[in-house]
Amino acid sequence: MNEQEFLEYVQSGGQVETTDWMPDDYRAKLIKFIEMHGNSELMGVLPEREWILRAPTLQRKLALTAKVQDEVGHSQLIYRVVEDLGKPRERCLDDLISGKAKFHNVFHYPTRTWGDVGVIAWLVDAAAIISQKALLKCSYAPYARIMKKICWEESFHILHGRDVILTLMNGTGDQRELVQESLNRWWGPLMQFHGNPIAKEEDPMYVWRIKSQGNEEARQQFLDGYVPQIWELGLTVPDPKLRKNDEGIWEYSEPDWDELRHVVTGHGPKTEERLDLRRTARENSAWVRKAVLAEAA
Amino acid sequence: MNEEVQRTLLEIADDELILGWRDSEWTGVAPLLEEDVAFSSIAQNEIGHARALYELVARAQGTTADALAFDRSPDEYRCAPLVELRLMDWAETIARHYLYEEADAKRLEQLKQLDDPEIAGLAAKIDREEAYHRIHAQMWFDRLQDEPRFIEALEKLRPQAETLLDSTKRGEHTPELTDLWEEMTMVRRSQPVGTTW
Repeated sequence: MNEQEFLEYVQSGGQVETTDWMPDDYRAKLIKFIEMHGNSELMGVLPEREWILRAPTLQRKLALTAKVQDEVGHSQLIYRVVEDLGKPRERCLDDLISGKAKFHNVFHYPTRTWGDVGVIAWLVDAAAIISQKALLKCSYAPYARIMKKICWEESFHILHGRDVILTLMNGTGDQRELVQESLNRWWGPLMQFHGNPIAKEEDPMYVWRIKSQGNEEARQQFLDGYVPQIWELGLTVPDPKLRKNDEGIWEYSEPDWDELRHVVTGHGPKTEERLDLRRTARENSAWVRKAVLAEAA
Repeated sequence: MNEEVQRTLLEIADDELILGWRDSEWTGVAPLLEEDVAFSSIAQNEIGHARALYELVARAQGTTADALAFDRSPDEYRCAPLVELRLMDWAETIARHYLYEEADAKRLEQLKQLDDPEIAGLAAKIDREEAYHRIHAQMWFDRLQDEPRFIEALEKLRPQAETLLDSTKRGEHTPELTDLWEEMTMVRRSQPVGTTW
């Protein structure tokens, strides 16, 4: 099989296994894409973990710990897929903390209130599951397979997030305000989440069928699924232009693509602090990994 | 349920709550991803045990598990100093884990012998989960037993572990408990008592 035949194969729905031949460019794109996913799961832990310690009931604390634990578990699974493609986990982690590798825009922002805990679990995870469901058909079969488990767990996170939000919206005025204020801050990053609306035929990740839908398609799906629910709860979306037109397409103010570029290249409000935390944690525990590896050898 | 039994259950529940809280400080930053997942599980188990024990006491006292867990002042907690310490060093965390599980096993054996079938049943249920914690603690003990920093941590913490089994030595708290309590209750305290979360 040559590169052109491979391309035709994946574009007609064919899937590839680890030991199958694949073009170097495809392998490189896969590693880049899947590694960023693994990094995002791992960095996504940090905005939420601080709130495990502040969860206001035993049930919430249990649910949030379980959620964050799931994310760590996902990163573990995902890095294993990257490892099989030729990049070991330790190198992924080194590239992450050195700032060389990227992670999703939403994990560069601060979590200021308990309202953020609900908005992240409900809406950020909702946006993420839309991207992840589109990976169930990924041309790289091992990645598509683990995505089943991941999507299944993510759907629980959304339920947990929705329950946090519903409880707050049925609570005191302060609690409702907490949600609205949080939604106001997160809306911009949420609209940027699925990326700029380049035509999918020009998106190399689509061309190789690593992902199966375009950016705008994913964003429309998010808006269609969640804006009505947000409105139904009595919340206001901070975009006066947001409406569904007669053709059923959501119209909205242009997301701030400069902000997205700035943030994902490592200049988000919390990027440095979070990478620092990972770096310190990794340095302080290097001796543990050394002890474990010595035992395994 | 007499007051002495209530106090014993509260001591254990407070230990489990505070230790579970401390364990969950490792969620997301443990030395290995596998250990991150494992320690988060242990944290959830401990919090789950605390909740079940609080529920028994809450019923006798006409309150709720959450009120017992969050709405008391720091000096009303009955936890032992060992679980209060902020130990963000893996050797110390594992040393505490090992010492705690050792003492907890003895304590659960005693509870399982009580005449009250509800308490004895709960203790047996908790013990079935703690059995896995003990295996985990033993695995790390075996792995680290020759590491000087682990030996040092065990020596440092062992005297504290003794208070776990001696009620008369409880009631004195470390300053770390106050800091923990401030953080643990900050969201809950931001609204009037009785607010639903």
